[in-house]
Amino acid sequence: MNGDGWLLTKDERQEWLDALLRDGKRLIAPVDDEGLTLFRAVSTAAEASLEDYGNARWSPKEHQFPNTEALFSYSFQGDDVLLEDTPPDDQEQVLFGVRPCDAAGLTRLDDIFLGDQTDPFYARRKEATTTISMACDKSRPECFCTAVGGSPGGTEGSDIQLVPLPGEEVSLLRTMTPKGDELVAGHSDSWKPAGPEDLAKSEDLRVAVEQQIEHAPLAPEWSAALEGTFDHPLWEAVGERCLGCGICAYVCPSCSCFDVTDQGNAYCGTRCRSWDSCTFAQFTLHASGHNPRPDQPARYRQRVMHKFAYFPLEHDDRSMCVGCGRCVALCPVGIDIHQSVRTAVSAGASGEGSS
Amino acid sequence: MVRLAESITPTVPGSDGTGWEPRIAAMVCNWCTYAGADMAGTARMTYPPNIRTVRFLCTGRIDPMFIVKAFEQGADGVLISGCHPGDCHYVQGNMLTRRRHTIHAALMDFLGLDRRRLHYAWVSASEGVKWAKVVGEVTESVREAGPLLNWGKPGASDSLRLPDPGEAPRIAPPPEVYERISVNLRQTAADLLTEEEGGVSMVIGYTPGTLPGQMVPAFVTSPDEAPTLAWSDGCGNNLSMYIPEVVKKQTDGKVGLVVKKCDAKALIGLMRENQLNREQVSVLGIPCAGLWQDGKLASKCYGCDGEATDLSDWTITAEGAQEGAATTEEQQATAPDPRDIQIAALEAVTPETRWAYWQNQFARCIRCYACRAVCPLCYCETCIADKHRPQWIPKSFDGPGNTSWNIARAMHLAGRCTGCDECTRVCPADIRLDLLNRHLSQEIETQFDYRADDSADIPPPLTTFRPDDPDEFM
Repeated sequence: MNGDGWLLTKDERQEWLDALLRDGKRLIAPVDDEGLTLFRAVSTAAEASLEDYGNARWSPKEHQFPNTEALFSYSFQGDDVLLEDTPPDDQEQVLFGVRPCDAAGLTRLDDIFLGDQTDPFYARRKEATTTISMACDKSRPECFCTAVGGSPGGTEGSDIQLVPLPGEEVSLLRTMTPKGDELVAGHSDSWKPAGPEDLAKSEDLRVAVEQQIEHAPLAPEWSAALEGTFDHPLWEAVGERCLGCGICAYVCPSCSCFDVTDQGNAYCGTRCRSWDSCTFAQFTLHASGHNPRPDQPARYRQRVMHKFAYFPLEHDDRSMCVGCGRCVALCPVGIDIHQSVRTAVSAGASGEGSS
Repeated sequence: MVRLAESITPTVPGSDGTGWEPRIAAMVCNWCTYAGADMAGTARMTYPPNIRTVRFLCTGRIDPMFIVKAFEQGADGVLISGCHPGDCHYVQGNMLTRRRHTIHAALMDFLGLDRRRLHYAWVSASEGVKWAKVVGEVTESVREAGPLLNWGKPGASDSLRLPDPGEAPRIAPPPEVYERISVNLRQTAADLLTEEEGGVSMVIGYTPGTLPGQMVPAFVTSPDEAPTLAWSDGCGNNLSMYIPEVVKKQTDGKVGLVVKKCDAKALIGLMRENQLNREQVSVLGIPCAGLWQDGKLASKCYGCDGEATDLSDWTITAEGAQEGAATTEEQQATAPDPRDIQIAALEAVTPETRWAYWQNQFARCIRCYACRAVCPLCYCETCIADKHRPQWIPKSFDGPGNTSWNIARAMHLAGRCTGCDECTRVCPADIRLDLLNRHLSQEIETQFDYRADDSADIPPPLTTFRPDDPDEFM
């Protein structure tokens, strides 16, 4: 929103973030948890582990859409059931150091939770959250954001973006939204304004990192073609090695499925919403015992279809997958969703075996 | 309004230490201890009112999950009591439970649970006096331990750091070795898939994945596809995980399975548990120089000599392929297993530190159940984690739910885990499941003289007993 932005040293950045903490905001940043990088609430900006962190093991989604969230509490008293709303968590929070893919991924959750129906829990937390993304200075082998319309310097979903300028001790900070402006207001006066040449440097970095990513594009217009392969026998081969764990969905920044259960005892309890995954056999299991997705190939097909066909067809051709590549890197049997889409679309196009 | 947290969290004592009374779940058998408690009552004996008695027909029915559930639901202590060995109404129920709880107690020790909370006793129908005494002692013990407030709660952040694995005993072989093995593997697979009689209709092996150095499972059903097979230092998956499903579907011919020595132990486990008929599988054994990732050797490989498994129907080396199991000239250099050093480090610290360590590990669990999915021995049609009535494992991704799941998983694999460490390799949260598994295997070996990779003809250790099994834990 502001012209060219500012140039911040590491110290200035930490001072600013510490000031936000003193204002009572919750700061969520990548931290080193026994050797693994995760987004966690920190008590000082210095706890953030930003040196060469690549990306966090799983996305910061849990801070926007918690893996378990109490919807309400209940208790039985005599013949009455008493209900009580969950106290709102509307503490202002700052998601710091989010990679552009994850920032874009979290906006897919907006489409789900703030679409036709507004989910009050999600809406409240979204309102209280400001996202500061950190542009990538290098790619990892599993990255494919550029194949799905993203970029290592993408700003979708970012209120503020920081770009580490190569070879320099400073980062370029630019605000993208009024929320971002608000977060720097009162702090930016002492920062060094950036010039057009700094923006040019950040553009050079973006182009350089984009070129490191070699994955071929997955064109948005493939959605319909992909949907057409639903009955194609190729899915058997694509999904046969899937083991039915939930890693892919749980590390994903845009997977939004959940299950609702009661956690309690004979006297009282809470109704909880917890993450769920379409690759689990129980996901579609009916009470009758019938399962419309009877095997792993059918379940994995659902995952691919939702990301690359159903969601884009309903949301202006935007891919639900943002190419962070975590599911590719962490899948116990190395299933690559980028490759699955290409395989399906080309098999569909060749027309072989389709029914 | 009663809230869940209040209803399951014991009343915390006031500043003067009053106001809290231990809540103890006593799980007892109908025929001996319950009758003994009755006798204590009719004889007007007094004992502390802190126990909540749950009557079972036999202690053999007391699943360790009941103990976990009691703690999860707010009990400060648990007491298990049944007939003396030899007196079981059902002949052997208490003998079986003795083994099971020996191992469960060892697991709870290793997790760092304050052992003043968990008690076992043999109390007969005529031992009213003993029952009153036991309840008195147990109540005092739990009172000393205080309210259970750290179940499913992460500990202090400066938790224990385990020792590094240390230098690997060998270096990775040059790529040519892998290439030569790959060539011989492809040839063997193609031959097996072409043979008419006694042939193989599918070979499960490895093929390069899309990431650098990544190897992924491949299902090859025709000789034309055999060239996709490959072998390298990144062949992590224990492919026997596919066996229970695949052999169910397989109608004709055998399944050829590429196995490392560590993977083959799972095949023995599956045979022992009647999940696999040896005739259904053709084992393609490969001598293995270890699993390497980013220049590091996997912990499980330090102590492995890398020989092809004795189960091999075909042994495939860099030199060629030969029928049957074969000893290779060169064995891999070995070193002490780093997992043992790490287990020793955990055993050396106080239970409180251990509890904090494991609770911090479990706090990261995201309940993706990848540990279960990759485990060759996790073949249950419906896992306890997926049971809803009752909901044994809370569905929520929080401390109590994560703790219950990780205890259930470790316990269900006790005496069955063959140490392939696949659960640990794939865990996105880097939880040290390997240490839990290995510790329990060692306990079982020490207590019952049993190894999970022994013959397929002996029953799993927790489904059997000896009259003289140790019961020092009681």
